[in-house]
Amino acid sequence: MTLLGPLGFTAPWLLLGLLVLPVLWVILRAVPPAPIRRLFPGVVLLLGLRDEDQVTDRTPWWLLLLRMLAVAAVIVGLAGPVLNPEEDGQVAGSGPLLVVMDASWASARDWRAEQMALESLLARAERESRPVALLRLTAPEPVQFQQAAVLRARLTGLRPEPWQPDEPQIATALDLLPESGFDSYWMSDGLDRDSRAPLLAALEQRGDLTVFESPRSLYALHPARFEEGHVRLTARRLRAGPETEVQILGHGLDPAGNPAVLVRAPLTFAGDATEAELDLSLPAELRARITRFEVEGARSAGAVTLPDDSLRRREVALIAGSENREGLELLSPLHYLHRALEADADILEGALSDVLPANPDVIVLADVATLSPAEAQGVTDWLDQGGTLLRFAGPRLAGSDVSRETEDPLMPVRLRAGGRSVGGAMSWGEPKTLAPFPEDSPFAGLAIPEDVTVTSQVMAQPDPTLASRVIAQLTDGTPLVTRKRVGQGQVVLVHVTANAEWSTLPLSGLFVQMLERLAISAMPATPAPEDLAGTVWQPVRVLDAFGAVGDAGTLPGVAGEDLLAAALGPDLRPGLYQGEDRSLARNVVTQETVLEPMMWPDSVPVEGLSRPQETPLSGWLLALAIALLLADVVASLALSGRLRGARAAMVLLLALAVAPVQGRAQETAADDFARAATAEVTLAHVLTGDARLDEVAGAGLRGLTQTLFFRTSVEPAEPMGVDLERDELAFFPLLYWPVTPSQPQPSAEAYAKLNEYLRSGGMILFDTRDADVAGFGAASPEGRKLRELAAPLDIPPLEPVPQDHVLTRTFYLLQDFPGRYNSRDVWVEAAPPDAELIEGMPFRNLNDNVTPVVIGGNDWASAWAVEENGAPMVRIGSGFAGERQREIAYRFGVNLVMHVLTGNYKSDQVHVPALLDRLGQ
Amino acid sequence: MTSDIAQLRQHAQEEASRFPALLARADQLAGTVLLGEHGRRRAGLGDDFWQYRPLRPGDTWRSIDWRRSGRGDEQFVREREWQIAQSVQLWVDGGASLRFASDRNLPSKADRARLVALAAAILLVRGGERVGLTGWALPPRNGDVQILRLAEALAEEGEADYSAPEARGMIPHARAIFVSDFLGDLDPIEAALTKAADRGVRGVLLQVLDPAEENFPFAGRTIFQSVGGTIAHETLKAGDLREKYLARLADRKARLDHLSRLTGWHYLCHHTNDSAQNALLWIWRAMDGGHG
Repeated sequence: MTLLGPLGFTAPWLLLGLLVLPVLWVILRAVPPAPIRRLFPGVVLLLGLRDEDQVTDRTPWWLLLLRMLAVAAVIVGLAGPVLNPEEDGQVAGSGPLLVVMDASWASARDWRAEQMALESLLARAERESRPVALLRLTAPEPVQFQQAAVLRARLTGLRPEPWQPDEPQIATALDLLPESGFDSYWMSDGLDRDSRAPLLAALEQRGDLTVFESPRSLYALHPARFEEGHVRLTARRLRAGPETEVQILGHGLDPAGNPAVLVRAPLTFAGDATEAELDLSLPAELRARITRFEVEGARSAGAVTLPDDSLRRREVALIAGSENREGLELLSPLHYLHRALEADADILEGALSDVLPANPDVIVLADVATLSPAEAQGVTDWLDQGGTLLRFAGPRLAGSDVSRETEDPLMPVRLRAGGRSVGGAMSWGEPKTLAPFPEDSPFAGLAIPEDVTVTSQVMAQPDPTLASRVIAQLTDGTPLVTRKRVGQGQVVLVHVTANAEWSTLPLSGLFVQMLERLAISAMPATPAPEDLAGTVWQPVRVLDAFGAVGDAGTLPGVAGEDLLAAALGPDLRPGLYQGEDRSLARNVVTQETVLEPMMWPDSVPVEGLSRPQETPLSGWLLALAIALLLADVVASLALSGRLRGARAAMVLLLALAVAPVQGRAQETAADDFARAATAEVTLAHVLTGDARLDEVAGAGLRGLTQTLFFRTSVEPAEPMGVDLERDELAFFPLLYWPVTPSQPQPSAEAYAKLNEYLRSGGMILFDTRDADVAGFGAASPEGRKLRELAAPLDIPPLEPVPQDHVLTRTFYLLQDFPGRYNSRDVWVEAAPPDAELIEGMPFRNLNDNVTPVVIGGNDWASAWAVEENGAPMVRIGSGFAGERQREIAYRFGVNLVMHVLTGNYKSDQVHVPALLDRLGQ
Repeated sequence: MTSDIAQLRQHAQEEASRFPALLARADQLAGTVLLGEHGRRRAGLGDDFWQYRPLRPGDTWRSIDWRRSGRGDEQFVREREWQIAQSVQLWVDGGASLRFASDRNLPSKADRARLVALAAAILLVRGGERVGLTGWALPPRNGDVQILRLAEALAEEGEADYSAPEARGMIPHARAIFVSDFLGDLDPIEAALTKAADRGVRGVLLQVLDPAEENFPFAGRTIFQSVGGTIAHETLKAGDLREKYLARLADRKARLDHLSRLTGWHYLCHHTNDSAQNALLWIWRAMDGGHG
């Protein structure tokens, strides 16, 4: 390959062809353009005229130039020019080549570029028949030199891991390295790590080492903190540079439950700064919904941070039994709770019935003994849905009868009357201290200060369940804190007061810690590892190296102490972990993470990934040549007067003008249809494609329309046929759908329209027209077709029309619904299972809305059908009995339309006697 | 024999199928003129009688209408101005050079020439004149049948590129209409006009030209050919010839104009992209002026 600056040629000898160009110039100049033959009667007048320029009419210089350029482009294009060709010298050599990849979260930002670099590297290795091995430092595997082609096939499956290679992985990698005899190629993620040094030394000792590193900046986002009422986000970049603005996105579920970007805010790195902060002021509701923050477009797990419960402030409702102790703030039952909670929780105060609708996370009842039945019910419901009820004892509780004989649903234990006092002036015993917390208690592991003493408490009745409900007890074995689960929530009783009257517990730090353990206050952003000892955390969602959040699937749980302290790795993936009461996020970038660019020693050549990619140019040049030749055609035509530019332009303009006209025509048609259908109430039938059937259906609806017009205040317009695929259905109160075995199945869009129609109160009357030969069911072809047609429809459970269905009395009192045939198999939406006959009422109170479908086989349209002149179209039965049947059929039609238009109005008439009664008549 | 007859019949039908269109168009064209300007004035022209006028010195005794004069003391002469119809002779160039239209939307020159000539003929026949062709082929007659004969005769197409007018058989003091592009040799035309003038025949020269012949919108290397293919001229730069061509065309027009003035004829250059009615109106006026 010959090189010309950044340009290389695969077949440079072809360029000699350019020498021909001057010759071509002369030839082209000498040859005049081909003459045009024209008929011209005026030629007589031309006879004898001579051209002034005796030399041939030359092609204009610019046309010549155009042609020269085209030819030149062809020649150069065929010579195979390549922009930025791969140079042979880059990883020159022979023998095995080891590609070492950091493949960490930081590599993810340029992973595509790295893959392409690797691809071309492998391509060259393939050409040179060098065996290649791949070693990913984040997940080291035994080094196996193999053909580059084999590796290339695996290339697309190569992924970075969302952690970084640390000492253990490097150590493994060092063990896996062959002894000697290979060159290495290190694709670095650009971050400085202490663990690099030994590997660097080892690789340099075994052969030549080249490093690839992306010059692009790397962004990292520290975990979000909640400080001073703001969400504080800190971002870092790897290298200081000019002032840069990045967008921070907060993702979460919007109120409709769809993933959305809830917050978007710009974060500006000042010039030469590697760190920038952003304060987001977010309402608590929004804050609680955010599931992750990320730097827009960074595509790296480091630029994503998952907030755990630390951002979520709990809502705690504080309710005290006795509020009116003015001035004695320190004695207020809520004072210490206030102090303990106000830092990390939103506190609600007010009456219990007022705070319940706010659905707080926790309700604290301080010395509240009895709740009204309504309140108790409300609290119970709230508990079922996962609330935490924290009760403190006190004189009122001790003196009340709550949970005395039987266990109160809102108390974890039964209480003995009166409670007890120890260590007071009038008692013998010493004040009691706390016993160490049992292992299975949520307080397990908390240190107990010496000075926490208890002088009074309420006593639990010894019940069989007591032992399992105690989660903290005094040294004498009496319960201090008891807990029971109610539904998804829990009730916790602290057997002392929430102020310092009965114990010194509220004065100690233990009180706050216990509240935290009960998940009543939000915990500090990073709990100490020892706090989590012995707990197991289940991953819920995990991050991949690109920062995408995925489901954790069946990943095993992680021990609490490891969750915080251990380095990220295959066993501890970054993500969100769920513990007993709360979730903890393990992010790639922690508060302590510092990004330092790697400084490679001078002996190691470093290449950037930004090296322009090899671009073959032949295609472009040949395309250019074709374009030039096309231009030449146009120019030559214009020169020789053969170009009918105006005509061509006209054709083009016409083509452009025709298209929108068609669109407008369609629109008008739809508008006309809507106008026709909505001017009056209009009945409609579904066009089946069977001409005779459609005619009868239309005539039937015409007959029904006339009947309605004569007998009722419903005065519909002419009925319409509806094409399900094309027409809007929402305009029609009633669709009559005759079923034939041959009609086509509507499309998915049509079904969507039909379902929408049914949901918004429309009614479809299905008519299988076979009641003479088939009982209702799948026995007839129409019945089977009906099943097919109705399967995708959103149809509720059905039942045969009950005696007291509102259809029997919306206008006429009917018990039969005949059409051309008189079958009683007419089905409507089933009554709700709890509908029952009330004493003294003639009807049950049935559905509150219109039945969306009526299904039968009586061929109503035939009975209704009239000719244009008003004469019946189809003979029904025989003689007077037949005419009577037709009359009943009309009455059914009237009832049906009335039912559609008035809904349950007639059902509500049931209440009229009661209403009149109430009005005093 | 039968095949000859069949062929003849087929040709006749083909030809006949063309006439109604031409006739209809010509009729329509003529109709616009009649209604527009002369319709009422010409009513009753077919009668012999035009007016009585008092006897003037110079009138012969024979010309006195005694029946009218007997009612009074004055002598009246019965004017019979229109009793002797004029003869109008047409010559429409049948040369190949007229079968040319520079654009698909334009009629060919031959088309236009025939249309205008036939429409004029219809007008004249309706005005009571006798219309025919120059030469011996179709002497002037009146009546609608003559129009059919004219249409048939006009449809004949000559083979030669440029044709000369038939100046024989000119009726003295008749009128003539010559329609051509006048692109051929002018000498026969001059001869015909002179001969006509000698016999007291006056008339109009209508030159029908295509807009392309007027503008010469050509460029580049071109071989120009006559329609008949007998004459060709090659040029390397058609654009350069434009000025010279236009000058020659102007010369020719000037010469025709001059010639017509000399002989008392009228000359008009008509373009196929103009309305045919213009040409017809002009012919009508020119002819009418002759009557005055």
